[in-house]
Amino acid sequence: MAQRIARAPNIVRVQGLGPGFWPATTLLLLLCIANSLYWLFGNIDWLLPSSSQPFSDRVYDIDGLFKFMAVFGGDIMIIVTGYVIYFCIAFRARASDPPDTVGVPIHDQPKLEFWWTVLPTILLVILTALSINVWHKIQFGVTSPGLTMEVVGHQFYFEYRYPGLKGTTTEAHLPIGVPVRILITSADVIHQWWVPELRLKMAAVPGLVQNLNFTPLRAGNFIVTCSEFCGVNHSQMQGKVVIEPVAAFNTWLDAQKTAAAAASIPIKLSGGNVAAGQAKFHQICSACHHDPPTPFDQKLVGPGLLHITDDPQHPTLVTGKPPTPQNIAWILQNGFTGSIGTMPNRQANGLSAQDIANLVAYLTSLK
Amino acid sequence: MHTEPSSTTHDTHATEATHAHIHPAPEGFVRKYVFSLDHKVIGFQYFFTGMLIMLIAGAFAILMRTQLTSPTGAIMDHNTYNEMFTMHGTAMVWLVTIPLVTGAIGNFVMPLQIGARDVAFPWLNMISFWIFPVAAVILFSSMLFGGPHAGWTEYPPISLADGTAGALWCAAIFTIGISSTLTGMNFMTTIIKMRAPGMTWTRMPLFVWATFATALMNMFATVALSVATGALFLEHVFKIPWYDPSRGGSPVLFEHMFWFYSHPAVYIFIIPAFGIVSEILPVFARKPIFGYKMIAFSSMAISLLAFTVWAHHMFPSGLAPWLQLPFMILTYAIGIPTGIKMFSWIATLWGGRIHFTSPMLYAMGFLITFSFGGITGIFLASVPVDLHLHGTYFVVGHFHYVVAGGTFMGFLASIPFWYPKATGRMLDERLSLLGFWLFFIGLNGTFFPMHWLGIEGMPRRYASYTAFAAQNPDAVFWNRFETAFAFFMAASIALLVFNLIWSLKHGKIAGINPWGARTLEWTISSPPPYYNFKEIPIVSGGPYDFEKPLPYKNTDNEIEEFPEYGKVLMPTPVLAGSGA
Repeated sequence: MAQRIARAPNIVRVQGLGPGFWPATTLLLLLCIANSLYWLFGNIDWLLPSSSQPFSDRVYDIDGLFKFMAVFGGDIMIIVTGYVIYFCIAFRARASDPPDTVGVPIHDQPKLEFWWTVLPTILLVILTALSINVWHKIQFGVTSPGLTMEVVGHQFYFEYRYPGLKGTTTEAHLPIGVPVRILITSADVIHQWWVPELRLKMAAVPGLVQNLNFTPLRAGNFIVTCSEFCGVNHSQMQGKVVIEPVAAFNTWLDAQKTAAAAASIPIKLSGGNVAAGQAKFHQICSACHHDPPTPFDQKLVGPGLLHITDDPQHPTLVTGKPPTPQNIAWILQNGFTGSIGTMPNRQANGLSAQDIANLVAYLTSLK
Repeated sequence: MHTEPSSTTHDTHATEATHAHIHPAPEGFVRKYVFSLDHKVIGFQYFFTGMLIMLIAGAFAILMRTQLTSPTGAIMDHNTYNEMFTMHGTAMVWLVTIPLVTGAIGNFVMPLQIGARDVAFPWLNMISFWIFPVAAVILFSSMLFGGPHAGWTEYPPISLADGTAGALWCAAIFTIGISSTLTGMNFMTTIIKMRAPGMTWTRMPLFVWATFATALMNMFATVALSVATGALFLEHVFKIPWYDPSRGGSPVLFEHMFWFYSHPAVYIFIIPAFGIVSEILPVFARKPIFGYKMIAFSSMAISLLAFTVWAHHMFPSGLAPWLQLPFMILTYAIGIPTGIKMFSWIATLWGGRIHFTSPMLYAMGFLITFSFGGITGIFLASVPVDLHLHGTYFVVGHFHYVVAGGTFMGFLASIPFWYPKATGRMLDERLSLLGFWLFFIGLNGTFFPMHWLGIEGMPRRYASYTAFAAQNPDAVFWNRFETAFAFFMAASIALLVFNLIWSLKHGKIAGINPWGARTLEWTISSPPPYYNFKEIPIVSGGPYDFEKPLPYKNTDNEIEEFPEYGKVLMPTPVLAGSGA
């Protein structure tokens, strides 16, 4: 015990701030300046897609903030790594040290600690101010949108709705220079709608409508990709976003409207052929409905259709409407989801307008 | 041991009574090694179980990296890949990281550092441990039922499709959560009540401060996780619609409750690593830690702020815009105490006499990789930038720098540092140094390129990335690059496992204090006797004044038994030889 206390350790003496401190510090400051200049003036399109020639007005704001953080984040990394390496070299133990050599016994340095608390705080206050500014612009910058597009996430595609368009599209088209509000929700699980080049990302949450606001600036084709895990084919969930001049956009939207109108109205109810309808029923409908048709309660997947027009127990169709040829055709056209289950629509069943007319003729002929 | 009247240990009179109060050692294999009450044995049990699960979860990571060597996916179908990343994340978070840093290192080191004979509630400690392998079995058994697929976050409604496997996932996380809560209570009581006489709050080793801050979060945050996963379990099994939006539930509710735990959990990982690094740096720089009080208080500040930032994980996921602001600002604010710590550690190196031992290299590697992970965290804290980066490989790179480059690097530093105390033998230093370089290079090679891949547009949790690779032709190169470096990390871990086993028999005899360290665990034999301290030491100063005599009294018994105790102030040949 006496031996333990008696030994006086050999305390290292340091001249100034240490050998080579100022040259090392100068080198680190130069590296910091180089790093800052790179982020402020260099071309970083390789990192942030199309940063120098933005497709979206958000790119200016978001990339500006990113660059500010890269400047001081990079500088801090240079200082941290640089001083760790420099101290390792300058203050390494030497083989010639007596065995109980100890370092300079300083415990703190209030001035230094004050500044390294205050300076990062100031930096973060500046960052907060810049962030709030950008946040306000991207959240509330668009006050009166020229176009509102709705996005609905599905496993595993995005579906789009436009004002005045009956039906949906699987491609998003947006006009240059028009402030856009995008409303986003989901039909099943949580998805995330992300177009990297436009810096646009928002989760599609079922039961919740969120929005994104921006103004497209230049024409281009982009991939929209899902960035929230949504199931087995999550990594295959991509779609197309097109930014185009207003005229091209209007042409496209009109073409969509025409196509939707063509798709949504049964071309005819007259001219239906009962025999052809029976053949189609046998080929397609019998997958889910008894063939030959049975009373309503004898279900296969869907209900029996024998008394579709004259069942006193079920005076209406599953849609709640009277069993007119028009209303039967509507179900064949659009499909229906009710308490019994889901009937697919015309496209899914591969029915032509003539097929619908034939099937309506056949079904209304049943007694 | 459990009868020690902990409520009166601060009282000198009662302390004298407890000195003579050493229980006989447990006899029989089961009481000694299986259902042991000894915090050191329980620490070993956590270590073995955690390391074993780490090997499995690490193998999953290697399989995932191999899959990504081809943009269409090289070795498995999407379903299997989704299961791999879910199991990797879940196991690494709850069954590897927390049990290793808190369960293993915390259990073994903390009572020794405060001069206690055990934790406050040894039975509770044993129960906490035995919950852990049960939870592990439940989690891995879910793979027999098709496995969970929705990622370690298991967000509903997609996780509701996991069926039985999803229910088992919930059961496992609920169970391990109980273990965390109990350990938190236990450690907190131990640190408040069982410090050796004279060890005031500001004389506590910094690892004890870190354990205290961690215990606080374990106690108060884990409850939210238990409620969240408990409710999800009920939804799986009894179809109670808490979260399913098609039946009136709220998926965002789950995200809030999940992150109310899982953000503090990030600090539950990292603060023990802060403590480990704060122990190692002064020992091998041979000088006092710089800014002791600031480091200790910033741990507490971080653990309190940790409860106020959870929604920064949810900026795009259904948060009202005005609610984004406070979470952004509070998250920025957490950078201040973290920065103070980082600068204090670097200042500790100044004017030191630095010995490049393996624990020291790991600790300095930690300074660099954790700084990087912290700085990329600032990017993600910013709402506008996060609206580009959320859900990308940038996030994957960021949190692996924090967890693998921070917590795990700290854990790897602690192994060669405390292995001699735990086993009585040194780890083979050359293998440890080689292991460090493999791990450090592998870590940076694997996770650094992820940052730019993410910024360019590569989303995470993608079993294949054909569309992204078509747009960015160099994506395939960088993914292969990452995979190659992942094997460096695997080699490092393999080397560590070999070293741990080989050195048990062939390592140099460590002696009481091979590193010339000054915390209390280095004043007793290696390995410590089951009762730790024959007499409870009396503390008269802080543990980092290398120029002064040791501030402990009442350790004379050990000195008689181990005459080499006089070497405490002198670096042993292991240390001196590694200088130059």
